[in-house]
Amino acid sequence: MQRQVALIKQSLFDQGYLDEQFMELEELQDDANPNFVEEVSALYFKDSARLINNIDQALERGSFDFNRLDSYMHQFKGSSTSIGASKVKAECTTFREYCRAGNAEGCLRTFQQLKKEHSMLRKKLEQYFQLARQAGPKETARRPK
Amino acid sequence: MTMEQEIEVLDQFPVGMRVLAVDDDQTCLRILQTLLHRCQYHVTTTNQAQTALELLRKNKNKFDLVISDVDMPDMDGFKLLELVGLEMDLPVIMLSAHSDPKYVMKGVKHGACDYLLKPVRIEELKNIWQHVVRKSKLKKNKSSVSNAAANSDKANRKRKEQYEEEEEEERGNENDDPTAQKKPRVLWTHELHNKFLAAVDHLGVEKAVPKKILDLMNVDKLTRENVASHLQKFRVALKKMSDKANQQATRAAIESHLMQMSSHKGLGGFYHHRGIPVGSGHFHGGATMMRHYPSNRNLGRPNSLAGGMFQPVSSSFPRNHNDGGNILQGLPLPPLEELQINNNINKAFPSFTSQQNSLMVAPNNLLLLEGHPQSSSPGFSPHFEMNKRQEHWSNTAFSTNIPQSDVHSKPDNLEWNAFCDSASPLINQNLDTDTTSFCRNTDFRSTSAAQTDFFYPLQMNQQPTNNSGPMTEAQLFRSSNPNEGLLMGQQKLQSGFMASDAGSLDDIVNSLMTKEQSQSEFSEGDWDLECLAHSEHAYEKPYFPFSLSA
Repeated sequence: MQRQVALIKQSLFDQGYLDEQFMELEELQDDANPNFVEEVSALYFKDSARLINNIDQALERGSFDFNRLDSYMHQFKGSSTSIGASKVKAECTTFREYCRAGNAEGCLRTFQQLKKEHSMLRKKLEQYFQLARQAGPKETARRPK
Repeated sequence: MTMEQEIEVLDQFPVGMRVLAVDDDQTCLRILQTLLHRCQYHVTTTNQAQTALELLRKNKNKFDLVISDVDMPDMDGFKLLELVGLEMDLPVIMLSAHSDPKYVMKGVKHGACDYLLKPVRIEELKNIWQHVVRKSKLKKNKSSVSNAAANSDKANRKRKEQYEEEEEEERGNENDDPTAQKKPRVLWTHELHNKFLAAVDHLGVEKAVPKKILDLMNVDKLTRENVASHLQKFRVALKKMSDKANQQATRAAIESHLMQMSSHKGLGGFYHHRGIPVGSGHFHGGATMMRHYPSNRNLGRPNSLAGGMFQPVSSSFPRNHNDGGNILQGLPLPPLEELQINNNINKAFPSFTSQQNSLMVAPNNLLLLEGHPQSSSPGFSPHFEMNKRQEHWSNTAFSTNIPQSDVHSKPDNLEWNAFCDSASPLINQNLDTDTTSFCRNTDFRSTSAAQTDFFYPLQMNQQPTNNSGPMTEAQLFRSSNPNEGLLMGQQKLQSGFMASDAGSLDDIVNSLMTKEQSQSEFSEGDWDLECLAHSEHAYEKPYFPFSLSA
């Protein structure tokens, strides 16, 4: 089972969902902080869900306040970077470029893409954490000490 | 424990350092908290800037260091930074996902000790304790000079003593002596000098009389006589600078003009002609100098000491014609001239240059040193670093005919370097790693809000040894790609210049922005560096006005 967990994790990296930052987080996990990575992920998804909501509303209104959108996206990007969500981060960057160019359509499109990536990542991570817990929480997501 | 942690434990101080972390993003805050715990600091977190302020106000001595995000909904991170610096005088580190030099510059200007980019890595956090040490050192120096030893100083010192017992004792002894004497000899530290400059600037050089200066400075135990003699030295130095500057200015104007014609890259051009630096003349400390500068916008304005420094810029530049030279043009040549001038100045006031750290604005050169009156003199070692750097830089830049050797050793250079250093991080992104890391380190790792430390800490930061920084730079300069090196220096200057002062902050920011915009136009030819693009282009524009008005 542990092997399965490891495989899943590896695939997340290979497919570009996660980057080195995630590994850094894993390094921070230890006995004092046994579920650190999972906690942080949970925080991230909670926060980002809220942000996505805000952006959705802003876009629906159709007013396209690019500055505001850009600042939402900046926040989003910040937390995505901190957790190592590289695909999501990339979409954020694209979105911001469209914002700066004042390209409403581009923004909309990118945002859809971003939401997709975001929920994909969420699903995968949930799956990963669940398996990891089953496999034996202490033995996964950590380098042997 | 990892090896790093073990090493830390050896030196008691960083362990248990009390950090206040502020970030509205819960994810980042949590990560930051864990990272800081890993470094064995004592961490308090809050996601509201307002709460952070309250916590700090409730008990000023409860924290050693503050780390704050830049974008926060309830209060701008920069505003928090300013308030903390003013009210509590604690070192503040900015944190942001914005790597935009604009923001970094803003951080520097508002007094940040450092500026970290998200995602923060633990290695970066491992060294932040140095800012606390630096700041406390400055405070100690401050109190030894002005006997108005504020309680906070004492408190800080006491706290520091716990950490660095040996040093504390020594300094404690030194501090006692002046107090014991009836009329302690006044040591014009950076901070004191900055206050002096601010007062003079406020009054205007012509109207600056010792009595008024003394009142403005509001320093205990400083007498009118002290101020009077200091002022006299200051005036002498000013005059010398102005004489030199005048000569320089005329020549520079012509030459730079020609230079520009010959090379559209006009890096040099922008320096002098750029009004911005001038505008930024108002830096906190050396206000006097700067002020004059902005108004004149001429190279030829020698009034300010600092100004004098810059002027040379244009003049020396033209001399070094060649591609590299062009780059230099943009560069604050002042180093050459400046150096020479500095010599004079140095004689006048030994401590002068260090004060200048704060801000050497070379309108021409965009040498801006931020002078924070509050800042205390920078640590000494940085000076060395700076000098070296400057030396290298100058050497590279003006390899031709300028006798720089004597100048380099002067503290003035230091400032300059510091400045450059701080500036460079902004622009260095694309320079080769050595330089980049070098510059980068310099920039924000500065200790206190006081600028002096701004610049140099960077060098120290990530270099295994301080010396490596300057070396790198020197090597860089001397490398086969002189332009690159020059650019770097230039960039530094620019940045430094930007950093000048709140007053002209907008100017600077604007110019920075302009620079960035013109980026695309700029880079070409041998300068394939983005950083070049940043600054250069914008500068080209004002080039002409400058020379003509000179």
